[in-house]
Amino acid sequence: VRCQLTPPQRPLQTSAVLRRVSDEQKKEPLASSSQQEFDSHPADHQPEQEPQGPRPSYTGQGGQESEDYESEEQLQHRILTAALEFVPEHGWSAEAIAEGAKTLGLSAAAAGMFHGDGSELVLHFVSQCNTKLSELLEQEQKLVQLGKAEKKPTDQFLRDAVEARLRMLIPYIEKWPQALSILLLPHNIPSSLNLLTSMVDDIWHYAGDQSTDFNWYTRRAVLTGVYNTTELVMMQDSSPDFEDTWRFLENRVADAMNMGNTANQVQSTGEAVVQGLMGAAVTVSNAESGWVVRA
Amino acid sequence: VYQVFESVAKKYDVMNDSMSLGIHRVWKDILVHKMNPSPGTLLLDVAGGTGDIAFRFINYVRSVRERQLQRRLRHHQNLSWQEIAESYQEDKFKSLGDSQVVVCDINKEMLKAGKQKAQDLGYSEGLSWVLGNAEELPFDDDKFDVYTIAFGIRNVTRIDLALEEAYRVLKPGGRFLCLEFSHVSNPLISRLYDLYSFQVIPVLGEVIAGDWKSYQYLVESIRRFPPQEEFKAMIEDAGFFKVDYQNLSFGIVAIHSGFKL
Repeated sequence: VRCQLTPPQRPLQTSAVLRRVSDEQKKEPLASSSQQEFDSHPADHQPEQEPQGPRPSYTGQGGQESEDYESEEQLQHRILTAALEFVPEHGWSAEAIAEGAKTLGLSAAAAGMFHGDGSELVLHFVSQCNTKLSELLEQEQKLVQLGKAEKKPTDQFLRDAVEARLRMLIPYIEKWPQALSILLLPHNIPSSLNLLTSMVDDIWHYAGDQSTDFNWYTRRAVLTGVYNTTELVMMQDSSPDFEDTWRFLENRVADAMNMGNTANQVQSTGEAVVQGLMGAAVTVSNAESGWVVRA
Repeated sequence: VYQVFESVAKKYDVMNDSMSLGIHRVWKDILVHKMNPSPGTLLLDVAGGTGDIAFRFINYVRSVRERQLQRRLRHHQNLSWQEIAESYQEDKFKSLGDSQVVVCDINKEMLKAGKQKAQDLGYSEGLSWVLGNAEELPFDDDKFDVYTIAFGIRNVTRIDLALEEAYRVLKPGGRFLCLEFSHVSNPLISRLYDLYSFQVIPVLGEVIAGDWKSYQYLVESIRRFPPQEEFKAMIEDAGFFKVDYQNLSFGIVAIHSGFKL
């Protein structure tokens, strides 16, 4: 048991690695919940994360110094972001991460901090895309609130949101099938599923759809289906600027909207049937009692 | 300690095999796999006397390099014959891709045995042999990508100094890997292990290497070594980050890993 009262905040070493957090930090979004989720991707044998490196003190913990140095996680994020540039060449792999580390002035051995199969790189990328999407939608919403833009009808909104999100894959489209298979690995499924559902929830949140055609679960499921199928179509699309994909998307969203009407119709038909049955039951019981009275 | 290894040097490999029933090879393989070195890596193997880790490293890097080259060739589909021929030639000279191992040991006899073994097995390029003390390494700062010490650190008098030296010679981002005997927590295995260590090993030492005392010393040094968590704390004290350990064979052996960040 280590009894260190005040471990002098150990700043990450050397100028190559360490950075004045102040400027960069403002731009980096505060870890969204989805990011935190896969961040506590435990090294299998660490009982728990010891607060070893100094944490960015948003809560104004220590003196000036602690705010200026970055933590291990932040460094890991920086490495992964740098690694993205090497994905087209090396795929989603430890090699890409090693190259990324090298651009930051670190030894390629730093890639040993991550899983050997590139999982963290893919998850990091997906999380980054989701964050970018949220920011985009947030900005659009602001414009609408300020009256500078029109509020889009739901189907248009969904189409644009999904298209914007899928366009972020374009630079990596060749290696995207590999990324998908990594996301489907059993040990990644909790994280990838989480990222997917929070993205879908986000989109619906900004869609601000108050209609009662769908209930919450259906909405989630429908949009997830639309997104996933469109993504798969995009993998195989060779049309200029993916026009086929966007057309497919348009059709799927239209289907989704119509589904709402069908559901309504089913509901009213159902009601009618029930009423009919009720009526029949009443008639029969009246007839019965009529019988009794007669007899 | 010096004398122990002087007498042990020649029979070192044989003793290792018989003591651990050959499993030490697996442990060392796992170590290099965990390292997952890419071509171009500069490795410092301390107390690496007979070169086990070094040779495995070279094999690993060679096969990674081969795969890389194959992949690259597959992509170069539109080259002229001239260009292809040129690329073959150039790659032949870089079968290791600039990777290098420096084997450092305090003991001349161990180094000699290692050099001989390298010759016998046909390892020539990418290897250097340096005489040195783990507590005071004869290298500059920030030089190596990976520092390994396999079954060597328990023989160092001041472990903390060795850890600090390791930190010093590693590049930023570099990795520290230590393969060492450690603490077995499972009580049943622990009893069997103790039995084996104290009854069988010194006997083997006498029979195979004619040296009971050295192997008695060995077993005792294993028991004296700090357990996993404590060693992890020591590594952190030296300045390493993301320190963790992996138990092998129920904790008989553990691999500790840390990064200089």
